[in-house]
Parts: sequence; C-alpha cells; structure tokens
Amino acid sequence: MYLSIAARAFQSRLAYRSQVWASFFGQTIQILARIAIWTAAYAGTASVEGVSLDDMVTYSILAGTVLAAWYYEALIQDIGTSVKTGDVAVFLLKPIRYPLYLFSSAFGEFAFRITAVVLPVVIVISFIYGLQPPASLFHGLMFASFWLLSFIILFELAATCGLLSFWLLTSFSLTYFLQGVIALFSGSLVPLWFFPPAFEAVARLLPFAWIAYYPVAVYLGQLGVEETLLFFAFGLGWAGLLALGIAMLWARASMRLIVQGG
Amino acid sequence: MIAVNGASKMFRQPRRYSGLGGSIKGFFSREYTQVRAVEDISFAIDSGEAVGYLGPNGAGKSTMIKMMTGILVPTAGSIRVLGRVPHEERMANAREIGVVFGQRSQLWWDLPVRDSFELNRRIYNIADARYRENLGHLAEMLEMTGYLERPVRQLSLGQRMRAEIAMALLHDPKILFLDEPTIGLDVVAKDAVRRFLSQINRERGVSIILTTHDLQDIEQICPRLIMVDDGKLLFDGELGRLRAALGARRRLTLEFASDPGPVTLASARLISDEGVFKHFLIEDETISLVGILGQLGGGHDLKDVAIEEPDIEEVIRTFYQQRPALAP
Amino acid sequence: MIAYLRVLAYLASLHVRSLFEYPGAVMLAWVSQGFSYVSVYTAIALIILRFDTLGGWGWPEMALLLSFHLLAYSMGAAFSFTQFRELEEVVRLGTFDCLLVKPISPWAYIVFSGFNTQYISHVVVAIGLMSWAVGQVDIAWSIPTAFYFLASLVSSAVLVACIITMLGANALVWVRSRYLFSTFFGFWELARFPLNIFPGVIQFVMLTIAPLGFLAYVPVAVILGKDVVLLGPAAPVLALLAGPVAVLIARAHWRFCLRNYQGAGG
Repeated sequence: MYLSIAARAFQSRLAYRSQVWASFFGQTIQILARIAIWTAAYAGTASVEGVSLDDMVTYSILAGTVLAAWYYEALIQDIGTSVKTGDVAVFLLKPIRYPLYLFSSAFGEFAFRITAVVLPVVIVISFIYGLQPPASLFHGLMFASFWLLSFIILFELAATCGLLSFWLLTSFSLTYFLQGVIALFSGSLVPLWFFPPAFEAVARLLPFAWIAYYPVAVYLGQLGVEETLLFFAFGLGWAGLLALGIAMLWARASMRLIVQGG
Repeated sequence: MIAVNGASKMFRQPRRYSGLGGSIKGFFSREYTQVRAVEDISFAIDSGEAVGYLGPNGAGKSTMIKMMTGILVPTAGSIRVLGRVPHEERMANAREIGVVFGQRSQLWWDLPVRDSFELNRRIYNIADARYRENLGHLAEMLEMTGYLERPVRQLSLGQRMRAEIAMALLHDPKILFLDEPTIGLDVVAKDAVRRFLSQINRERGVSIILTTHDLQDIEQICPRLIMVDDGKLLFDGELGRLRAALGARRRLTLEFASDPGPVTLASARLISDEGVFKHFLIEDETISLVGILGQLGGGHDLKDVAIEEPDIEEVIRTFYQQRPALAP
Repeated sequence: MIAYLRVLAYLASLHVRSLFEYPGAVMLAWVSQGFSYVSVYTAIALIILRFDTLGGWGWPEMALLLSFHLLAYSMGAAFSFTQFRELEEVVRLGTFDCLLVKPISPWAYIVFSGFNTQYISHVVVAIGLMSWAVGQVDIAWSIPTAFYFLASLVSSAVLVACIITMLGANALVWVRSRYLFSTFFGFWELARFPLNIFPGVIQFVMLTIAPLGFLAYVPVAVILGKDVVLLGPAAPVLALLAGPVAVLIARAHWRFCLRNYQGAGG
C-alpha cells in the first residue's frame, strides 16, 4: 500500500512540467556557482588540508544536487497547512500511519527528482567539469547507503519540524530555522573539515552532518573503512532516535486532535 | 449611453490531453484552441434602462460584462460606455460605474463591513456628507444596519450580497453592472435584492445591466432582455414581445357563482370548462382585460377573474427550441 | 495626488493591522528568518576566513557585498515579493477583476494592500553587518561617496521591485508564474558573490537577461574601487541607471499584460 502511495506521488509530479524545468535549471546554476566559488577560493593553491580543487568540484556536485534532491521545505509546509485546515484529522480515520504515509509520499517525490532532475544535472555538469569516481568500490557502495540514510534523516528532521507546527501553529518559522541550521551544519556548502576545530568537533556529531557531509566525505575516501562503518552506525543511531521522536510527537498530536477536534 | 458595435472576443486555451500517455505528451508539447466567447454582438442601452443579459453557461455573458467594464479588451468591434472606451479610460470609467460580482467578493474578509465601505469611500474619493447620506439610505433600504459592524466572514451569503450591492452604489454610479447577483441566495434574500434593484432603477434612475440564469430576476427588474448563446446575440427586446413572438398565450380563468353553461369569448379560446371555472387562452394580445370581459355580455354572475402569464421558463425554453426562426 | 497617497497608506495600514493580530507568529518569523541569513553568511565567512580571499575580495568586502545585497533586496521585496507571488492566486479566484473596475491603479493596490513587514528582520541583519563592514573596508568616505552609496542602494531596490513585478505579472497572461520565481532566486544567490569568479557566460547573463549583477556586485565594486567585469568605466553610471531603466521596462510590461489579460474564465 505504501508503495502505491510512493508511485502516485511520482506520477503526479509529471503534471508539473515547468516545475521540472525550473528545478533542473536552478540546480545547474547552483552547482555552477559552488564550483566557481571553490575555484576562486583555491586560486592557484593545489590542495588545502589534503583536499584538492577536483575533490571540491566533486563535493559541489554531490552535495549540491544528489544530496539536495528532495525539497524538504514542501513537507513542512504541507504538514503545516494540513494542521491549519484540519485535514490531518482525516488520517486518524484511515488504516494508515500518518508518518509512514508522509514518508512514502516523500520517497516517491525523491525518486522522481532523482530521475527527472538530478540525473540530467549530474550528467550535464560532469560533462563540463568532470566528476571523480568514488575512492574505492567499498566507498562507492557505502556512499549509496549513506545517501539513503541522508534522505531518511532529512525526512525525519523535516517531519519533526512539521509536526511541531501542531503546537507552534506556524510552519513558516520552523522551515526557516531548519534551513538555517542545515545551511551551516549539513556541510552542504562548506565541508566540515574547513570548520574551525572546536566548531568542527561539535558539528561532526550532530545529525545534520549526515545530510551532506558524511556521504560525500565517504565518497571521496576521506574516511577509512573502520571510520566509515562507525559513522554509518552512528548515523543509524540518529535516524532511530529521530524516528522515535516522530512517533512520540505524532502520538501526542493525534491525542490532541481527538480531544480537541482539530 | 452604452454602445456596443460588432464586439467580439476570442480566447486561446491550451489543449489538455488525458491519460498517462496524454500526460507525457502534454509534458513535451503545447497546442492551443481558439474559443469564440463573444461573436459580433451589437446593441445600445440608454440612460435609465434596466437590461437583463441572459444565456446558458459559456454563452459569453460574463465576457461581455468584463468588456463593458474595462477588464477585457475586445478582439474586434467597439464598445463605448458613457462616451468612453472602457479599457482605454479605465479609471474615469470606473468612477461612474459600480460592479457587483456574484461569485467573488470585494469586501475584506476579516474586517467589519463598515471598514470595507470606508476603504471604498477613500478609493472613490466620496465627499463626507454624500457618503454618510448614501450609506444611511442604503443601509436602511437594504436592512443592513444590524450587521455593519460585523466582520464579513461572519455574514450569510444574503447579507454579504446586500453589502456588496450597497458598496457598489456608495459613489452614485450612473450604471450598475451585476454578474449573477442572486446566485446561491435563498428565496427571501433574492426577493429583497430584486425589489431593491428595481427600486433604485425606477426611483433613482440608475441604469442596470444584469447577467443571470434566473428568469425571475429579469421579470422583476428588467423590462428589456438580451439573450445570447454560443457567443452570438439571439434576441434583444421586451419580454412581452418575446412572449408574443413565440405565441405564448396568457391564461384567463373565470370563476362564476354558478355554472352559466357554455361561455364564448371573441378574443379568447376556451381550453377547459369545469362548470364554475372556465379556462381560456387569450388569443388577441391587443385587447384589454376590460374589453375581453365586455365580450361576456350581461347576465353572468362573475365572481372572480384571474390572469396568468405563461411560465417564463417555458417561454425561454420555447425560444431556444424555435431559435432559427427568430433571428432579430 | 495627496488623496491618492492617503488611500495607499490606508490600505497598507489595513493589511499590517491584520498581520499583527498574531504578534507572536510575526516575531517568531523575524527571528527565524534572521537566523537563516546569519547562518548562510557564517558559512560564507568560513570559506573566506579559511582561504583569505575570494576572487580578490576579502571578508570585510564580502560582508559589505552581502549586506548591500540583503538590504537592497529587502527594500525592494517589501513592496513586491509576497504581493506578486500571490497574484497567480488572486487571478485564479477572480479577485483581480474586482481591482480593474475600481478607480485605482491595480498595481498600487496590490503593492500596498500586501505590504510585508517580514522584511524588518532582513533589514536589521543587513544593517548590522553593513555597519561593521563599512568601518573595516578601505574606502575614503566623503559626502559624494555616501550619496552614491545611498543612491545605488535605492536604485537596486527599485530594480528588485521591478523584476519581481514583471515575474508576477506573467500570471495575468499565463496563469502560472510560480516557477519563474525559483529561477529568479537561483540568480539571486549568484548575485551574492563577486561576478569575477564566474565564467564569462554567467557574467554576461547576470548583467543582461537576469540583471541581478546590478543588485549588489556592480555598485559595491564601484564603491570599493574595484574593476567591474565587462562594464569597465561605464559601471558607476549604469549602477545608478539600473533602477530607472527597470521601471520603464516594468511599466511597459505591465501595460502589455493588462491588455492581454484573459480573466479567470466563465
């Protein structure tokens, strides 16, 4: 059943032709911008802290689109609207779990964006600038696992913010708070290894780092085999914790709905 | 006052394809179809008239009102309202007309009715004294004094519509355009609106142009009727003329104190004889009721007389069926 | 004229009044948006502090660029962004027709009835950063330079308002303009950085089709005395002209859209 929800989400995206073109275009520009920034930053220096410009180009491509494939702001806003209009109460009546429903829907959209936007963008950009292969087969496979984990954690963070709108009655502010945190701590623009040491130490442990930084760090072989597995486990831990949080939030939210009537 | 000459309006609409294959095809290509909403329509309306604009859905009624109010630009032909071309002198035109849309509200949802009126006062730059006078009169005529302070979202549709109409009249417009004003209203509200519109037309000389589906609107408010279908003009004239042209007859019922036996009239045809009640169909429209009764002759114990107009719905239906024969 | 302006002021006050019915939400929105910008700027600062310069621009200079970008954008967007992004919906509901039958400019009505106070947080962050940067950069401030600074700031704000107006106005003829805005924001992000770090094609686009290069880079580069790519000596004048030229184009576009407005159907 959840699979069909995902499929339906995928198909509905086909109707929005201009949105796909706009996304494709927007992402391409974003990556070009990042590559330009790093090229200017490196200006002649071959490598900084063991990372070369080519590495950073790959980082830009991966963090800029592959790991930014899913538009999480929409989820927070959708939950927020659903709460405001009271539509969310409908889910208490159906034989379906709201968080799982959201996940299936999100996954469908994610799959669509990968096929329709990310893949073309990566192909086009690699053509111009070149994308490095993964550091090794192991790292490549682990990258795929980290990629999935990244989506799950991103979804969970967005869903948590969305569910908080039950109490805060605003999804707008929550979206911006999350955006702010992700901009810095996910490593999306700046890899954590460029952070000042104390800052880096903290950032490495926060769940946001698994959204962009760890997947790309693994891909580039910046983490050894043991480290990779360790941080994967750590990431799973975060995913589990967040899932628990969502389950609790939804339980309390549904309680509130039943008692107050929306 | 209003002169429409050969006005036409064409729209381009993107074609939609159905099914999954259609979705994908629609993803890559875009085709358009031309829709003729209004086709070569001409008419003239004088100051003080009340005209009903009638037609089925998609006939081009709203499009015509939008062209007359300056919202849309005609693709061909000319439209002049109060001596101006509406879309070219939009602001000057707007000052002298009032527009009420049946399906969209011009009132601010969260604010009291009075605040929306106040905003209007400023937009139209209405002098204080005139504003207060108008507001007072309108509030009284439309029985709004009870809810002027309530936020619009708390009003019923009937109350809201009355407020919309009042708002459109605050600045003493010469012409009032209404696009389906009675749609969705209950019977009591409809009646109130119709009586009011009829009153301001007759007493204050405000010209009224009204689009509607509801024939009762026309009967109560507009002596003149313009009918359109498929963008084309079908009929322009008095409702009475339409009835006569269609051969729709008025029904005459005579009630006697006791059965007078067979009764014949020169200008009316007997359709049923129920003893005390006799039903006739009036054949000759030119003779007055007194004249018809005069044909009865003396010696009859007439207790009651009733005349029924033919059901207007029936008239219009007959009209659509006979359409080809009635091109104006 | 005065009466007209008073109508607009009244409209704005009506809207702001309804916004402040929930002051808590308004303030939370300010804090969250301010936070978001501070976060992004921190990320950029980290890059420059690590690498010394970006295309020849040090951190204080970048800070000036970023704050100018934000301030000009906020001033322009307060008069245009939410209003014109929503225009698509206003058209769909048919409420735009209602505006056309009133003796008021629909553009003015839309702008002032939706005047958005959310940009106050942006202005605060921008001015904060700008006050610091202005003291740190190597400029000989004088009355003419200060005047030029303010004038180009206004010109940029006007440029933003005009571009956003045009993007939204497409809703009058196409009925779907949302996606234009995401494209706009793509270029808007590029406008945060000195144009000289980008390939020639992008530099050209940012100065012509998507003239957001004039939003911050050109005026700030001029003030800092840096060479401006592609424009060279014409840069100072062009930065000031960007706003007025945009107004002419936007007005013509708006009139075109009104003329070809098809209405909401029915």
